[in-house]
Amino acid sequence: MADVFIPGSIEEAVAFLADHPATAMPIAGGTDILVDTRTGRSRPERLVDLSGLRGFGGFELDGELLRLGALTRIRSIELDAELARRAAALVEAARVLGSVQIRTMATVGGNLCHATPSAEMPPALLVHEAVAEITGASGRYSTPLADFFVSPGRTILAPGDLLTAVRARVPSSTSGSCYLRQTVRWSMDLAGVGVAASVHVKEGAVSKASVALSAVAPVPMVVAGAEDAVVGTDLGSDVLAEAGRRAAQACAPISDARGTADYRREVVSVLVPRALRIAWLRATASWPEGSPAPANGVWTGMWTGELR
Amino acid sequence: MPAVRTSELQVVGRRIPKLDAPEKVTGQIAYADDLRMSGLLEGAILRSPHPHARILSIDVSAAERLPGVRAVIHAGNVQQSCFGYGNDNMPLKGDKVRFIGDEVAAVAAIDEEVAKRAIDLIHVEYEVLPAVFDPYEALEDASPCIHDELADVSGNVSMRWDFDHGDVDAAAERAAVVVEGRYSAPQAAPAPIETHVVIASFSPSGHLTVWSPVHMVFMYRKALADVLGLDWRKITVIQPPVGGSFGGKIDIDTHDFIAVMLAKHARRPVRLAMSREEEFIGTRTRQPIHFRLRTGADAEGNLLFRDAEVVSDNGAYNAWGSHAMLVAMNTITSMYRVPNSRIRCAVVYTNKNYGGSVRGFGNPQATFAVEQQMEELADALGMDPMDLRLRNANQSGDVTPQGMEITSCGLSECLEIVREQSGWDERRGTMRDRHRGLGAAAFIHVGGGARIYGSDGCGAIVKVEESGQVTLISGSSELGQGSETALAMIVAEEIGVPIESVQVVNSNTDIKPWDVGVHASRTTFVAGNAARMAAAAARDKILETAADLLEARPCDLRVRDGVVEVADEPERRIDFGRAVRRRLLREEGSVVMATAFYDPPTHHQDKEYRGNISAAYGFGAHVAEVEVDPGTGMVRLLNLWTAHDVGRAINPMSCEGQIEGGAAMGVGLALSEELVMFDGQIAAPNLHDYGLPTSVDVPRTVVNLVETIDPLGPFGAKGVGEGGIIPPPAAIANAIADATGVRPREYPMRPWKVKHWIDSEERSHVIAGKDASGHG
Repeated sequence: MADVFIPGSIEEAVAFLADHPATAMPIAGGTDILVDTRTGRSRPERLVDLSGLRGFGGFELDGELLRLGALTRIRSIELDAELARRAAALVEAARVLGSVQIRTMATVGGNLCHATPSAEMPPALLVHEAVAEITGASGRYSTPLADFFVSPGRTILAPGDLLTAVRARVPSSTSGSCYLRQTVRWSMDLAGVGVAASVHVKEGAVSKASVALSAVAPVPMVVAGAEDAVVGTDLGSDVLAEAGRRAAQACAPISDARGTADYRREVVSVLVPRALRIAWLRATASWPEGSPAPANGVWTGMWTGELR
Repeated sequence: MPAVRTSELQVVGRRIPKLDAPEKVTGQIAYADDLRMSGLLEGAILRSPHPHARILSIDVSAAERLPGVRAVIHAGNVQQSCFGYGNDNMPLKGDKVRFIGDEVAAVAAIDEEVAKRAIDLIHVEYEVLPAVFDPYEALEDASPCIHDELADVSGNVSMRWDFDHGDVDAAAERAAVVVEGRYSAPQAAPAPIETHVVIASFSPSGHLTVWSPVHMVFMYRKALADVLGLDWRKITVIQPPVGGSFGGKIDIDTHDFIAVMLAKHARRPVRLAMSREEEFIGTRTRQPIHFRLRTGADAEGNLLFRDAEVVSDNGAYNAWGSHAMLVAMNTITSMYRVPNSRIRCAVVYTNKNYGGSVRGFGNPQATFAVEQQMEELADALGMDPMDLRLRNANQSGDVTPQGMEITSCGLSECLEIVREQSGWDERRGTMRDRHRGLGAAAFIHVGGGARIYGSDGCGAIVKVEESGQVTLISGSSELGQGSETALAMIVAEEIGVPIESVQVVNSNTDIKPWDVGVHASRTTFVAGNAARMAAAAARDKILETAADLLEARPCDLRVRDGVVEVADEPERRIDFGRAVRRRLLREEGSVVMATAFYDPPTHHQDKEYRGNISAAYGFGAHVAEVEVDPGTGMVRLLNLWTAHDVGRAINPMSCEGQIEGGAAMGVGLALSEELVMFDGQIAAPNLHDYGLPTSVDVPRTVVNLVETIDPLGPFGAKGVGEGGIIPPPAAIANAIADATGVRPREYPMRPWKVKHWIDSEERSHVIAGKDASGHG
């Protein structure tokens, strides 16, 4: 059984964590830590309960800028109508994470800091150019979320550092995003492959795009060559296939009980075109506003020839 | 018993919520894990980390010295003997361990944490031996021998189940079409939400009381005595409410013995509760079974033969799983009319978790092979699979090659219903462009007991209180399947009282009469008949008294809604409770109590596996509709239509619940559930990775109850507990084949397998595994 420290401020939390670097661990929603503790994967002696800190929960939209407090519950992202219009990938990632009970407890910060390779939030935030805001013993700093993850279960956070918020860019009507994944079950499952995509459309062509993947590399990753493949095009099937190929080449999946490396690569090449396509439909107002895509991007009776 | 017209029934046939539902839905029911008593110690088990190893030494001295430890036991300091089929298992292993999870030592301590620390302090020296995980490798001469101590086991084959009827080879020569294929079922788990929990306590005078959510309490009591050298006259077994079993808790398991030995050594009550991880790695599973099957038919579609080679990958020890072939064999020989059949089956030891009894018991596996082959055969004949099924469907009056006497049979009606509801004739084979497909599967399963012991009987006592309240003391027990409610309804109907007037007592071996125990979908049929007989006898005693009071003949009386009345003159009446009191509260009075024992008129199978083991057989048919995503291999189950011949629905609500719940489990087997193993190690022993389906994975299940009014069932009822789980793997595989043109050869049909099959060059013959025969 761990001792629980309830800090009165972020500074107190940071100081306590810095003072007990080997034994203390921050806890917010607890949905990962409690499981890890029970299975023995981690044995914290001291838990620093961040859940009562004020000013770190909830999100605000300021023009193109979305700022998500680290203590924002996944459930509140899932249920927000404005976010569904502006940051569809994020909402789609939120709505498939765990169960309602888990989403009600789990926080954005926890999902990022636990650094599970298959986590839902990272790819969805990465395609929205997310930046992590961190407060540590030496002060506050920011870093692109793409640089935040180090290895499975590890981030760049030093002992005493706390993720306080994530900033993301959610441009207006001429952009769209999407998050899709492959799972064994249709709910309460970890992604075997997770794919997020965003596109900005100007004058009938992609002006900017991003593709990010989860569960197919030690850390969530942005596909470097994807944007080049699609910018300037109207996402014809050849272009989409090429983007899928590049993503499949860029990733580094492993084989485990949730699928083989070859299978995962194949699925990346399938889901990337689907996610880009749905993002495009959203950016061009061809998608029912605020309506989420099915988890694998295929909905009953709506097969389109170009997307296998 | 006389046939009863539905219109006369007062209670049977009504939709009555389970009697224990209020306690369960409010969380107030006390499961075994909720029980507490003073001085209770917590037990823990040290399990083998090796799949196969010789135990060289065990040093428990450090564990014994840990403060708070009250007992440390191992093979060297306990009295125990062998158990299991073939006596191949031992509660605590002294010589060898044979799978990862095998029990080596155990501790009782003042709390869980101390017990776990003590476990870590036990030092065991092992000599690691070569292990074998593949049953086909286990059959090879060079394979490590897992039970070298058993003289009568040759190699690693512990049992054979061989059957011959007619002349398969001659039939194959005559056949216009023969299809052949291999089909594999994986290692799966019963995965109940309540893990195994047992509490053992000795009184100062040496009487042992055990609280265990086990089905077969009476055999459990005997096994405790036999294996641990106890006096079985001094053992009471109490069954707390069961939080799900699905067969996993059917009979005694290793930890039950260990809990009792710990209590004996510690001289204190001991609780042994499996963690979720232990539930997966340390309790019995549904073992993998591999089939090579051939089916032949003439040009008109009359089945001519089935020819099966089967390898049951039974794991380290023989528990019930070794007998799953009993049921699988029924399906191969007797699902549809098959004039010739041949089965060669080997039950093989491997260094893995071993097979127990899980709902359906060999039948989902065999049906996966048999019913896929029916659709393959229909395609080869250019026939509609439903027409092929109907042409060959079992009918009332049939006696199958194994001597199964089919009395009531609604198979054809079930097939017609799901055919109609699913739009089969218009839709099958027409939706491939949309990656959709329909697939069907039917089943046969015992529904009137299953005689595998000397008796297949159940005792019942009906006691009528002076208040008029009726207590049924049944030998059988409630597992959550709703049998308690069904039995109460049968008693209420037979006596003529409202359901509220009946309570059921069924959880203590000191009180209740003998029963085999819950298995084989037998409770409503066997315990129901016993309850009905006892109820009738109790009612007759009351009628005797009432006849005196009403100055009428007993045969002119009837009981309705708790009132005894003269049938033709209902104004001449007396309250039921008053009649009881008039019988009791007088000189030379007597209590109203009656006993009955019902043993179905069935026979043991002979050495050639012939004999009518069940007094009734249940049938049913499912149609599944799927949509397959060829890009990811993800399968979405869109619809599931089911029709089950239940004889008579005692409680339609419960029947539907059993069928829906069974079907959901079958969907899990089909699409997601598997104990994935690497070198004998279960990769992820948790509910998440195991892949139980969620409500999102299981569509609304359409349930049709077909009532054939079985001649021997209580009010015509047959067993319904297992049927639902049997068809889905086969039906879903057939639907995937219809949607994609690819024939699934194994389940679970997880996305990467489906994608692999679709993308594979050899679409028609995607076969994993090796030669299925292993012996020719």
